[in-house]
Amino acid sequence: MAAVTAAQPRSSKTESYVDNKRKEDIRHANINAARAVADAVRTSLGPKGMDKMISTANGEVIITNDGATILNKMEVLQPAAKMLVDLSKSQDSAAGDGTTTVVVIAGALLKQCLTLLSNGIHPTVISDSLHKASIKAVDVLTAMAVPLELSDRESLIKSASTSLNSKVVSQYSTLLAPLAVDSVLSVVDPAKPDMVDLRDIKIVKKLGGTVDDTQLVKGLVFDKKASHAAGGPTRMENAKIAVIQFQISPPKTDIEQSIVVSDYTQMDRILKEERNYILGMIKKIKATGCNVLLIQKSILRDAVTDLSLHYLAKAKIMVVKDVEREDIEFITKTLNCLPIANIEHFRVEKLGHADLVEEVSLGDGKIVKVTGIKDMGRTATVLVRGSNQLVLDEAERSLHDALCVVRCLVSKRFLIAGGGAPEIELSRQLGAWSKVLHGMEGYCVRSFAEALEVVPYTLAENAGLNPIAIVTELRNRHAQGEINAGINVRKGQITNILEENVVQPLLVSTSAITLATECVRMILKIDDIVNVR
Amino acid sequence: MAIEKILKDDASEEKGERARMASFVGAIAITDLVKTTLGPKGMDKILQSTGRGHEVTVTNDGATILKSLHIDNPAAKVLIDISKVQDDEVGDGTTSVVVLAGELLREAEKLVAAKIHPVTIISVYNNVCLFYRLRMASECARNALLQRVVDNKENAGYAFILYYLPNVLGFDKEHFAQLAVDAVMRLKGSTNLEAIQIIKKPGGSLKDSFLDEGFILDKKIGLGQPKRIENAKILVANTAMDTDKVKIYGARVRVDSMSKVAEIEGAEKEKMREKVKKIMAHGINCFVNRQLIYNFPEELFADASILAIEHADFDGIERLALVTGGEIASTFDNPESVKLGHCKLIEEIMIGEDKLIHFSGVEMGQACTVVLRGASHHVLDEAERSLHDALCVLSQTVNDTRVLLGGGWPEMVMAKEVDELARKTPGKKSHAIEAFSRALVAIPTIIADNAGLDSADLVAQLRAEHHKEGCNAGIDVISGSVGDMAELGIAESFKVKQAVLLSAIEAAEMILRVDEIITCAPRKREDRM
Repeated sequence: MAAVTAAQPRSSKTESYVDNKRKEDIRHANINAARAVADAVRTSLGPKGMDKMISTANGEVIITNDGATILNKMEVLQPAAKMLVDLSKSQDSAAGDGTTTVVVIAGALLKQCLTLLSNGIHPTVISDSLHKASIKAVDVLTAMAVPLELSDRESLIKSASTSLNSKVVSQYSTLLAPLAVDSVLSVVDPAKPDMVDLRDIKIVKKLGGTVDDTQLVKGLVFDKKASHAAGGPTRMENAKIAVIQFQISPPKTDIEQSIVVSDYTQMDRILKEERNYILGMIKKIKATGCNVLLIQKSILRDAVTDLSLHYLAKAKIMVVKDVEREDIEFITKTLNCLPIANIEHFRVEKLGHADLVEEVSLGDGKIVKVTGIKDMGRTATVLVRGSNQLVLDEAERSLHDALCVVRCLVSKRFLIAGGGAPEIELSRQLGAWSKVLHGMEGYCVRSFAEALEVVPYTLAENAGLNPIAIVTELRNRHAQGEINAGINVRKGQITNILEENVVQPLLVSTSAITLATECVRMILKIDDIVNVR
Repeated sequence: MAIEKILKDDASEEKGERARMASFVGAIAITDLVKTTLGPKGMDKILQSTGRGHEVTVTNDGATILKSLHIDNPAAKVLIDISKVQDDEVGDGTTSVVVLAGELLREAEKLVAAKIHPVTIISVYNNVCLFYRLRMASECARNALLQRVVDNKENAGYAFILYYLPNVLGFDKEHFAQLAVDAVMRLKGSTNLEAIQIIKKPGGSLKDSFLDEGFILDKKIGLGQPKRIENAKILVANTAMDTDKVKIYGARVRVDSMSKVAEIEGAEKEKMREKVKKIMAHGINCFVNRQLIYNFPEELFADASILAIEHADFDGIERLALVTGGEIASTFDNPESVKLGHCKLIEEIMIGEDKLIHFSGVEMGQACTVVLRGASHHVLDEAERSLHDALCVLSQTVNDTRVLLGGGWPEMVMAKEVDELARKTPGKKSHAIEAFSRALVAIPTIIADNAGLDSADLVAQLRAEHHKEGCNAGIDVISGSVGDMAELGIAESFKVKQAVLLSAIEAAEMILRVDEIITCAPRKREDRM
């Protein structure tokens, strides 16, 4: 390289040659970096995929096989590699699942592009052909898909368990899949049937027990204990719940103030006044019949003091303190109540009602459960348990993926076979299509088709099967018209994958293909890396 | 050696030939950097920030690349400046202007080497330029006429956009062109692009991008407040909603009992309530504040079933005030004097995973929002830049409807005329005129090169085509051949092209005139160790 730049001649013809050389190098460097990232996550694809242990900079250890999580924690620096990380993030936000698949497909496409580039095909030509191929691919996938009704709970569970089967917590998929389906279905608003906001589903993690103990709670769960000061109640039937955003503590003004005490008797008087002030507030609360208080955390002053807790306990009011401000919306929505920001506004109509609020001890800690809520809002809470922090975190991530899968099905009600069946079918149909195209385009589309075989290949490889034997047999079966033949990793052979109940939402597959193509095209078009301010 | 003492230590001086060489090298280096991004099939660059975070931008927008470069060469800085000016003036053609200036300089360098005085070159460039402004004006008037006969205005804009959108948008061009044209048509002739709001939301693909009338605010509605309001009266404000603090430092209140403290607290609350009441006295049902609205006022608003939006960013409220026809208020004492904003419907919508607030049926009818969706932030940012360019050009074209054909057609027409002029001109000047024509032809050459086509062959074909009178031939990069631009509907704005030509020549002239570079001694930095 150095010799070439040193001998840089002035005439424009040779100069452009030097430019091309440099641009080729940059393109290759980008592609190789991106492929390295793809290779790193490749082994975690599929139900028999391996897990990765990541130890983060602050010494934390994470065990996962969720592509988005692995890539997120990798801290890559190379710009093209970063784009792959972003790719898996956008798959996460678009579909929530298939974050590994999308990166693996992008890696395989890039590998094919290297060959195409070395054959002297111009990158823009490759990029355009890839785009055409991806549009065609989406058409093919849509044609393969099976429509689904939301009332068909069985199918929903099946697709959720397909997603869960590839996770660390796969042995619990029979428990988690119905749980995911039920929680999503319970938050679907009949007015807007194709919208699901996953923020309406709260996942509470609590260490202890096993994943088996995970449950869907019809109501609310706080990962906090009720206040025990002065023996306040920890169980309340027929609860009238108030969510308050003010503080039950001695007054504090925004303007700086100081109380001047000039003699001894005044001190007594001040203490008494403080007591009266708090007592006055609590009386007002009690007067409305409220018996459970949820108090928002305050940074400006103490939300509650020992004194006020004492009086609240005396008044038989159960207290849960330090509720985060972000949680208030969720809580009020669930309890169907309104937050109260001032003692003057403390009115009966702003309270929520529940049959039972109780503190339950779980493992080493305690939680507060609110059940039997009257007019409960469209929310759900899932209490996840696990024997150690790592399992717990992974269970949460897996559950999130499963929820996303169900959400995808709610917004786009089509199912498609899993187990590599759609990819091999795509590969076959695109391969056939490439033969009718002219010129470079046909050549590029064929490479696209070949690249898609990476999914079944990797699935087989990760399951310890002979990938070549499996892929060739798959091709054979598909050529004979069995479009739903896929790899059954449990049996280690090829079966009709729809009958095996291995299904996934159409949205996951289509968005994986389109997003991967978009990313690859972007990498292809880059011919220089410029350092800037 | 007394002369050396004229300048400070560390300051340097380069003279004559050396100075000229330095500026040529700098300008040509910049040109070579951006020239691969020219044209519909241009390549992209990764801009890697050396600052904190090592942020990555992927772009092929000339202005963006150039303005983020580290540059030490004064001539290169001139080129960067012209690209900036081009961006501000017409919003597009930022790469073309740099490439044309660079090519002019490349040719000038050869002439200087052949012992032609720079001033001769400059005068020729200027004369030719003047000649060509007239020529182009007449030429394009003819075309504008043609265009108007063939298409109506809207279609002309549409076709022309097709050519201009950079290739990141790729096959979704048609979709985007339609978006941009729709948005600009809503403006009804004004060039106020502020009424077009662009919101970027990662996720989905570029095809999911859409145009929505009205305004979208990326904020949440307060708790317990109505999520849908019809016939909204909106008060846009920038005011602190906590207690009014005494601004004098060290002000404090001395009291002698706890109940007094409680009274003060009560009074503070009362002041807040007063303020909220004053606000409500405007008869509004939607209140948007730039600053935080705290829990207490939020509850008051909720009780009065007024929709309160807190912490809207500055840009957001200015636009909102603009499109709803309101004014930003910060005092609320006389409700009559405050102008309220109006819109037909406010509701919460969901895009991707986020909830946003949509104001539809706003006062300013031309206002609209383009919601961009894309796989990653890189794609989105680039789509935004391209859309911005497209909007700029379109809004300019709506005002000045003169258009030229695209695909290197104007350059070839000009080159042909310049060549004829060169043949008629006696003396040294003819060399310079020929050089000018070569620089013009460089542009279609680069466009062809970037598209992976055989540029030498194509440009030769094009030249042959243009030898005929009234020819419409240009490079069709999609099919990779010479085609009839009028049939393909590829056009460019006359205004952009004219600006490119003029500023490129001005820049080239400026750089050519330089015969001495004095670099001042850098200011000494204090050692902070």
